[in-house]
Amino acid sequence: MAEDNIKMAIKDLDVYYYERLVLKKVNMVFRNRELTAIVGPSGCGKSTLLMALTRLLDTVPHARVEGSVELRSNDQGWLNVFRLGETDLPSLRRRVGLIFQHPNVLNTSIFKNVAFPLRLLGLSRQEIDSNVRAALIDVFLWDEVRDRLDSPASELSGGQQQRLCLARTLVLQPEILLLDEPTSFLDEDLAGKIENLLIRLKEERTVVVVSHYNDQVLRLSDRVYRLAGNQQESN
Amino acid sequence: MIAKHNKERAAKGALSLALLIAGSISAFIFFFLLYFSLPILSSGLIGEFLTRGWDPDRGVLGILPMIVGTVYIAGLAVIWVTPIGIGLAAFIQLFAPKPLGRILRWTVEFMTGIPTVVYGFAALFFLVPAMRRIFNYGTGLSVLTASVMLALLVLPTVTLIAQDGLATVPSNQVLAAFSLGASRMETFLHVVLPGAWRGLISAVVLGVGRAVGDTLIALMLAGNAVALPDSLLDSARTLTAHIALVSAADYESLSFKAIFVCGLVLFIFAGSNIVFLRLVEKLKK
Amino acid sequence: MKLLSHRVLLAFFWLTGFLTLASVGSLLIFLFVKGVPSLSLQLIFGGADPFRALLLRERVFDGLFPAIVGTTAVVVLSVSWAIPVGIAAGIYLAEFSGQNLKKIFNFSFDILAATPSIVIGLFGLTVAIFLHQHFSDRIYPCLLTSSVALAVLVLPYIVRTTQLSIDAVPHSMRAAGLSLGASKLQNLYHVLLPSSLSGILSGVILALGRAAEDTAVIMLTGVVATAGIPGSLLAKYEALPFYIYYISSQYTDQKELMTGFGAALILLTICASLFVAAHLLKNLLVHRLRKK
Repeated sequence: MAEDNIKMAIKDLDVYYYERLVLKKVNMVFRNRELTAIVGPSGCGKSTLLMALTRLLDTVPHARVEGSVELRSNDQGWLNVFRLGETDLPSLRRRVGLIFQHPNVLNTSIFKNVAFPLRLLGLSRQEIDSNVRAALIDVFLWDEVRDRLDSPASELSGGQQQRLCLARTLVLQPEILLLDEPTSFLDEDLAGKIENLLIRLKEERTVVVVSHYNDQVLRLSDRVYRLAGNQQESN
Repeated sequence: MIAKHNKERAAKGALSLALLIAGSISAFIFFFLLYFSLPILSSGLIGEFLTRGWDPDRGVLGILPMIVGTVYIAGLAVIWVTPIGIGLAAFIQLFAPKPLGRILRWTVEFMTGIPTVVYGFAALFFLVPAMRRIFNYGTGLSVLTASVMLALLVLPTVTLIAQDGLATVPSNQVLAAFSLGASRMETFLHVVLPGAWRGLISAVVLGVGRAVGDTLIALMLAGNAVALPDSLLDSARTLTAHIALVSAADYESLSFKAIFVCGLVLFIFAGSNIVFLRLVEKLKK
Repeated sequence: MKLLSHRVLLAFFWLTGFLTLASVGSLLIFLFVKGVPSLSLQLIFGGADPFRALLLRERVFDGLFPAIVGTTAVVVLSVSWAIPVGIAAGIYLAEFSGQNLKKIFNFSFDILAATPSIVIGLFGLTVAIFLHQHFSDRIYPCLLTSSVALAVLVLPYIVRTTQLSIDAVPHSMRAAGLSLGASKLQNLYHVLLPSSLSGILSGVILALGRAAEDTAVIMLTGVVATAGIPGSLLAKYEALPFYIYYISSQYTDQKELMTGFGAALILLTICASLFVAAHLLKNLLVHRLRKK
């Protein structure tokens, strides 16, 4: 187990909501070119954990964290996520992409949803077009939406929205990809395709998948953590 | 059983009677104003009435100066309060550190409880002398002074409704933007603002209504001159102040009847604001 | 470029917060500094003996007592007209009316709420003139007409808070009563009203504050600068907000002006206390519903 393989390290992470401890002493490492699975019953705090890793828990009133989350940078060594200032958060969230369990498409067109993060980066129209197209092809959505890129994203089915959200994060090429139940709205065939995509993605980055279906993720993963209530075990 | 049934019916009847009375008051007000305005409306001089000055001694009865005064004072107040009110709403909702945001929200709510006459009274001895000194012109009672204080009076209306509007943007949209690397400001500009425009329009429209409908601030701070103001530092009179200043000595005089036309104009304006808001609500996204 | 404009905008947001706190702060400080020194028994009772004045045995000539009594009388009267009608109308809208009826009446109440108070005052004045001309020439603008006009002013607030408070009762609670065989009216009386009472009450208190602070309505409908304690519903009366307005334009010496500051401070304190009370009640309601 080479230390330099570690991309993100969670040390003694506690999360409180009001005074209630919802995650207790979480210790995990996510490695480069590995797919890590986090499994556990619903309501055990998996989604909360992912929110904490990208500092999105900041936006939840009365939520509080203790412990540390360290992210490895290629050049700068370790970066403590909890010590970042407000202005550093956008770049953290570009590096650590989070895909939510319930698809949260923006209230605009299909195209603009995927283009949104690229436009924030100030890319040219041409670059945006080609990147959006590539990402939609990656998630097997291109053929379904190529004729109606300008129609509202909210008109897509749940499964389509889920893939759209995945594409929207992939265009940023994040170093770590955090996925919360990524196939919950998909039929078996599509779920299989997305799983293959994840396996391909992990060749060049760190992938973390949260699920309450044991077997599906176990089949794919190199490493499994189990979260149960506010405890955690690993194997 | 029958007794119980009758009791239910009697109670329901009483409730519906109350609703009927309360609900017909605004129509009642409208017809009252219309009835008392009839002498002027039916004289065929309504056009002149709306476009001429006010000089009862010479028999000239026109409310143009008051309409212009209202447009200047309320319009200027809305120009001040729109960016400040919406900015404050955004600050409280998205940008302020949480304790500061709570203090500000509480302060703005508290402002709704401060009596208008107290705003006017304090401004008369605080803002008016300051304005006189700064601009070294006139008495300090002016369109500008009244508009500044009116903006402060309307600020809570605009801010509270605007913040409610910003809060209607679903939190998952905000989270989506954050998770894609948008900064707070980018999230505000690209996601929250486009999703909240209906609430912001309501805030401004209700602010306009509040500014046009207020009496005391303009009455106490604008000087009430019956002439078209040449500059923002000149005195002016609003429609509301004109009604307040009427001497009710002679109920039959034409100048007394003229104030009902002012009332009718104000009422119709307030009503059309509400109609406009209903239309905005109905608009598809 | 983008970062610069964003920074400017953020700075503007901070500025709005600062401006708000600064203007409200300076307003309150100014009133306190000017008003507190004038606070005394003499401010309220003038040269009269406070006890005898309170028992109405001695008339107060140069104090705020008649204005305070007048304001209290007109506010209490107006809310007593508005409460039964407003709450009943709100109950009907929340519990008995169909969607179309609701839309029409809410539209009417929205317009009433948006009607400038001076227009409502004008309405009150015309009613007084009408009664004077057609019923009794003893009727002039007076305490009664003012209180009725103020009742019209606060009516939409009471209707709306009643309606919203009843609507806010959770469906499970509403269904529980009905499933036990309660009639709609019994359910209203035993379940809905008790659990929405603090919300309705907070609306009533806000209405009290609104009625107490309004100047435009009463200045057309019967308030005067000096009248003493009103002897009947048909008498002229004094009121704090009108007194403040009157002093601001008619004061002749520093002493009168200081009375004005004292009156402003007293009115502000009354309205602020009503406001805080209403909010405490509202929060109470929110907490109780959250627990359930």
